[in-house]
Amino acid sequence: MVGLSEGEKHFIRGGIAQDLRADGRRRLQFRSVSVETGVIPQANGSARVRLGATEVIASVKAELGKPSILHPDKGKVSIFVDCSPTAAPMFEGRGSEELSTELSVALQRCLLGGKSGAGAVIDLSSLIVVDGKVCWDLYIDGLVISSDGNLLDALASAIKVALSDTGIPKVNVSLSAATDEEPEVDVSDEEFVQFDTSSVPVIVTLTKVGKDYIVDATSEEESQMSSAVSVSVNRHGKICGLTKRGGAGLDPSVIFDMISVAKHVSQQFLSLLDSEIASAEAAE
Amino acid sequence: MRDLQLSLNQTQRVRLEAALHELQSLAPAAAAAAAVTVADTIPVNDEDNILKGHGTSDQDGEVVATLCGVVERVNKLVYVRTLRARYKPEVGDIIVGRVIEIAPKRWRLEINFSQDAVLMLSSMSLPDGIQRRRTAVDELNMRSIFEENDVICAEVRGFQHDGSLHLQARSQKYGKLERGQLLIVPAYLVKRRKQHFHHLERYDVDLILGCNGFIWVGEHVVVGENTDKTEVKPALSTEVENFTPLETRKHICRLANAVRVLSALGFTLTVELIIETAEASVSSNVEINAMLGAEFYVHTAEAEAKRRADLLRKKSGAR
Repeated sequence: MVGLSEGEKHFIRGGIAQDLRADGRRRLQFRSVSVETGVIPQANGSARVRLGATEVIASVKAELGKPSILHPDKGKVSIFVDCSPTAAPMFEGRGSEELSTELSVALQRCLLGGKSGAGAVIDLSSLIVVDGKVCWDLYIDGLVISSDGNLLDALASAIKVALSDTGIPKVNVSLSAATDEEPEVDVSDEEFVQFDTSSVPVIVTLTKVGKDYIVDATSEEESQMSSAVSVSVNRHGKICGLTKRGGAGLDPSVIFDMISVAKHVSQQFLSLLDSEIASAEAAE
Repeated sequence: MRDLQLSLNQTQRVRLEAALHELQSLAPAAAAAAAVTVADTIPVNDEDNILKGHGTSDQDGEVVATLCGVVERVNKLVYVRTLRARYKPEVGDIIVGRVIEIAPKRWRLEINFSQDAVLMLSSMSLPDGIQRRRTAVDELNMRSIFEENDVICAEVRGFQHDGSLHLQARSQKYGKLERGQLLIVPAYLVKRRKQHFHHLERYDVDLILGCNGFIWVGEHVVVGENTDKTEVKPALSTEVENFTPLETRKHICRLANAVRVLSALGFTLTVELIIETAEASVSSNVEINAMLGAEFYVHTAEAEAKRRADLLRKKSGAR
């Protein structure tokens, strides 16, 4: 990432303080969002989201696997994020490991719920095919193609759209299998089951610069942040996850304020995403 | 500069295509004839004596282009010049660059060229303004003049024998640029003109069009002001009063967005065009942020097509 001179940093801080950022946005305004579904035909579901110059792709692949012994009635979901070197030269080789892990963990916390699967956005019991024997494993992968700040929000919205685009093939289990043997499953090519993604939350990151917070920071603005709080809110206004980054300490009242601002902003973002999902579905 | 990603609806797409088509038809025919793409044959008169330069190759006795660009002929040399090439400096160009390293007695700047440009300490006027020999103390205090990541405006002094680029910043109008934003556009969009420094009085904004594609839009700084270089960095409370006033900031943002839209459309950047685009956004009551949206993008393309058509009509009418 290119460095910024003191004068430019001063200009950015001044813009945020005066509610007029470098590209003319207000503090709580998102950049223009563009959403595309079905970008990876081999995956069960995929989406590409562009948030200004930040571009990410999310894909969902479903494979048949064995459920864990502790939870024989639940399927498995895993989320991984990878940063492509096309986004920034420092992402080549292992340079992106730290960032990718941080993003993956944050997304897992928001979307996957607890260890037993409680509170996950996808009902894990719906992924089971044969109790204790066969279940669907969902692999959700995020790829960062272009990085201009606010990767977490972009990835979360890409995953939400990719899940709405996902079709799990219908499985017919042959009933004649004995209890010990592996049952025969017939994966249908024609029929698909869609997920209901209306309860999938979206993440809004509030970046604190000086005394004010901004939404959807560009990478230049992120370089000026003292701390950032990412709040994951679902349609019902419930908080599904909370992450704080940055070394500066925050007063608890500030955190409460940021959470309420994030709730407010997320409702608009959610309705925007839902309308984009609907128009993408209609276009198909 | 990353391109604007725009989702145009059907009507906007149609309008944009119509505008771009009109611009294409208005372009002089001679320019279109010289443009080549990969594998086009380049017409040459005297096959034997010509020198085949960059971007050409000999295929079956014919000269074939290997790049997309414009054919240039200089005496017996024929070559293809690409449009989106890196900036090609010439002596006397005004450029804007960013300091990436401080080396003994010089600063290294990044200017979107194949190498880093060098600004020697002796080519830079000292803060106290006296003309004297640079001493070792001056060399130790280089960081007080320019630090890493500072944005500097300078002029190309010349090339050294090893090919590196040397700059000079002796005049008062060159030097560190603060209180504004730097935009990066493809270098071919900025043509060489008589003036690259523009002080827009109406907005109280400085607009510097660097020939290397770095464009500075910032608050107006009075040339020759003797700023106290030894002052301590201001505390947070005083910094707040020090911010750019909101009105000026609005103008800066509008001009910056105008530059972004014009560079995304691929139009040559001139001061008049930038100001006109910014004014058009004000008169159509477009929000500063919405200037980066699809509607203003299409509107600007149409306005430019209309402007060029009018210009052509005036020229042919005057004849």
